[in-house]
Amino acid sequence: MPTIALDDHVLLKGISKQFGSTRAIDSVNLTIRRGEVHALIGENGAGKSTLGKVLAGVHEPDEGSMTIAGKTVRFRSPRQALDMRVTMVAQELQLVPTLTAIENVYLGIESSRGPVVDDRDHRDRYQRLVQQSGIGVDPSRRVDSLSVADQQKVEILRALAREAELIVMDEPTARLTADEASNLLQIIRDLSVGGTTVVFVSHFLDQVLDVADRITIMRDGRIVRTSEAGSESTGSLVEAMIGRTLEANFPPKSPPDTTAETVLTVKGLGRVGSFEDVDLQVNAGEIVALAGLVGSGRTEVVRSVFGVDPVDCGSVEMLGSGVGLGTPRAAIASGMGMIPESRSDQGLMLRRPVRENASLPRLGLFSRLGMVLRRGEQESVQVATTEVDLRAASLEMPVESLSGGNQQKTMFARWLIERPRLLIADEPTRGVDVGAKRAIYELLAGLAEDGMAVLLVSSEIEEVLGLAHRILVMRGGRIVCEIDGIEASEAEVLEAAFGTSAEEAVGV
Amino acid sequence: MSEVHLDEKVESGGLIAHLRPHLKGYGIIWITLALFLLLTVTTGPFFSEANLRNILDQQATLLIAASLATVAMIAGGFDLSISAVFVAAPLLALQVENATQSVLLAVVVGVLAGLFVGCLNGVVVAVLKVNSFIGTLATSFMVFGAGYLISDRRILQPETETFRKIARTRWFSLTTATWIALGVVLATWFLLSRTRFGRHVYATGGNPEAARLAGVRVTGVTIAVFALTGAAAGLAGVVSASRSLSAMPSDDFSFLFGVISAVVVGGTSIAGGEGGVWRTVFGAFFIAFMINGFNLHQVDPIWQRVIQGAVILVAVSIDAWARRRPAG
Repeated sequence: MPTIALDDHVLLKGISKQFGSTRAIDSVNLTIRRGEVHALIGENGAGKSTLGKVLAGVHEPDEGSMTIAGKTVRFRSPRQALDMRVTMVAQELQLVPTLTAIENVYLGIESSRGPVVDDRDHRDRYQRLVQQSGIGVDPSRRVDSLSVADQQKVEILRALAREAELIVMDEPTARLTADEASNLLQIIRDLSVGGTTVVFVSHFLDQVLDVADRITIMRDGRIVRTSEAGSESTGSLVEAMIGRTLEANFPPKSPPDTTAETVLTVKGLGRVGSFEDVDLQVNAGEIVALAGLVGSGRTEVVRSVFGVDPVDCGSVEMLGSGVGLGTPRAAIASGMGMIPESRSDQGLMLRRPVRENASLPRLGLFSRLGMVLRRGEQESVQVATTEVDLRAASLEMPVESLSGGNQQKTMFARWLIERPRLLIADEPTRGVDVGAKRAIYELLAGLAEDGMAVLLVSSEIEEVLGLAHRILVMRGGRIVCEIDGIEASEAEVLEAAFGTSAEEAVGV
Repeated sequence: MSEVHLDEKVESGGLIAHLRPHLKGYGIIWITLALFLLLTVTTGPFFSEANLRNILDQQATLLIAASLATVAMIAGGFDLSISAVFVAAPLLALQVENATQSVLLAVVVGVLAGLFVGCLNGVVVAVLKVNSFIGTLATSFMVFGAGYLISDRRILQPETETFRKIARTRWFSLTTATWIALGVVLATWFLLSRTRFGRHVYATGGNPEAARLAGVRVTGVTIAVFALTGAAAGLAGVVSASRSLSAMPSDDFSFLFGVISAVVVGGTSIAGGEGGVWRTVFGAFFIAFMINGFNLHQVDPIWQRVIQGAVILVAVSIDAWARRRPAG
């Protein structure tokens, strides 16, 4: 009995969390031992981050029970988690940039004499903290003048200052250089030796194998297995992460017309800090997918092609003529349309009616002398929304009252009023239910069959495999390989995305 | 999450779900009508032709400026320089009138002066990316100062009968000031609800990033709405000078406070993307009826301010609350 209480820091039983109609994590049982480094891995969307956030109280689970240090808990906020000595170093750091490192570390837990903050006590405690943890950051530097790696250290010091016993780190090395990352891994090891439990959420398999004591592999919100790190290799991990047959969820791929004209030609496109040397072509009737891990530069490339973000070099041509870069307006005029990554932030006017949201880029078609002819607009939007099978009580409903799937269909309807020659679809099925997903797949396949060129960005590997005629895999801001979409296997794409060598994966 | 919850109610087309946004959205109409009835019943003089005509005449200048200020606010811009233009533009117009005796030229110059300040505001906000509060506060001081310079710190008066008649002629028992305001209100309503530009205004205020990705010239829209607001403030100033037969330099922000009160009490959101000029009309008359009612009931003017402030606070609190609901 006492050994269990000592050994098991966290016990999860039947934890589920639903977002809209997506089950992010599904009946998860997991034991995390005190003082271990426990890695959570999986593909994009496998549920690893969500699970981390449930542990840290960011998300409240819908079902299941959680036992921490022998006590059954139910976290409704990160604050409550902190009371149980659990905290998180999030992917996006949560420091106050204008305060110094030491001010950030003691923010909210200031020691004071009366109303006056006791800076000397802070400095003493900071010194001790640095000695104990071996993490050194100049306490008087403003956080916004520190490197990302140092900011992360401040976050960890902050967690330690709050006497955290369990720290969830969500992709902590994603924005670090190789040296910084190996430093961080050392810090994690030291923390673990000092008795702190670390949950390490990451998609860098070599780092996971390097630092973790045990690894939990997730897929589709469920746990595939938890095993000792020593018994795994990158190959075995990749295999377990995929481990699923493609469902017959996708419309059949029609072979693209090889004589079709080239619609989009991108040459040598580069943007400092985001991507470089990007060359790609999309032909009429072809779906080309940009695959890769989150942060590999996929979205950045299509945003620049569409003129949302500026570029530093390279050119974009539509049907052989150059497109003025830097304004979406010019991109639209050249024959492009885009479904952006986040429909609520970049796509929709949430409080405006479906009709206005759908017609916005094509208002010119219904305008005479600057006046909008409501009847023509109404009719065209009606036709387009019927075509995408958008279900709404009325086109006058504010778009925010619709489900995620119908909101996304509004975005598609927008580009069906007058069809662009090229449609860029960035994560077109994010946050939509299964039915709408299927409808969107059919829509994309149908548009391509009718001769539209489609440039798809997706984190869902089966989506890429199920839809694309050609797959361009990006890693670290470059296109690292092109794979034929008809013959591609999931392992092939993932290996290119993760950068594991083919032999290694095949060898297992 | 609440997203799903909402879907079920709305997409199934339940009656209550269908009516709720309307009840919430049109509250200002019911409240204004209720106040109208209340004052009609409790005071004799309120519902008299003379009193109502007076209210219409008094609200004219405010409505001219507030209509276009509504457009700016829907586009996500906040123009503090309305007062300064309202004070300085008629001074310039009267100098021109005094010098040339041409009323037409005077009016055109007054409106163009406002347009010019508005363009300046627009560039400051849209191109230099200065927060619109701060940017238009800064231009306010410049324009207030210009007012003193233009008038040489004197009170200016119109010399021609025509200028005096701009706002004071009676047509069908209403003053021309009222008719001008009506024209501006209708034109603004048309602009917002029937034109492509109007759509772009809502899109820009509702989600500037999404608007840009849909091909809207967000920078151009922002400059245009500030320019139009400036021009309207200039016109309001000229009409005011004709109504009061004088114009005087000052540093007085109170006209702006009246304008902003009317816009937000009407329910146009300070966050942008939502609202309408009809709202501002109701907002203006609600406040006007309230003040008229206070006067008829002989409420201490000091208390009037306190209550007026409280009413505005309630209005914007309701707005903030209504915005929070769907997201939470």
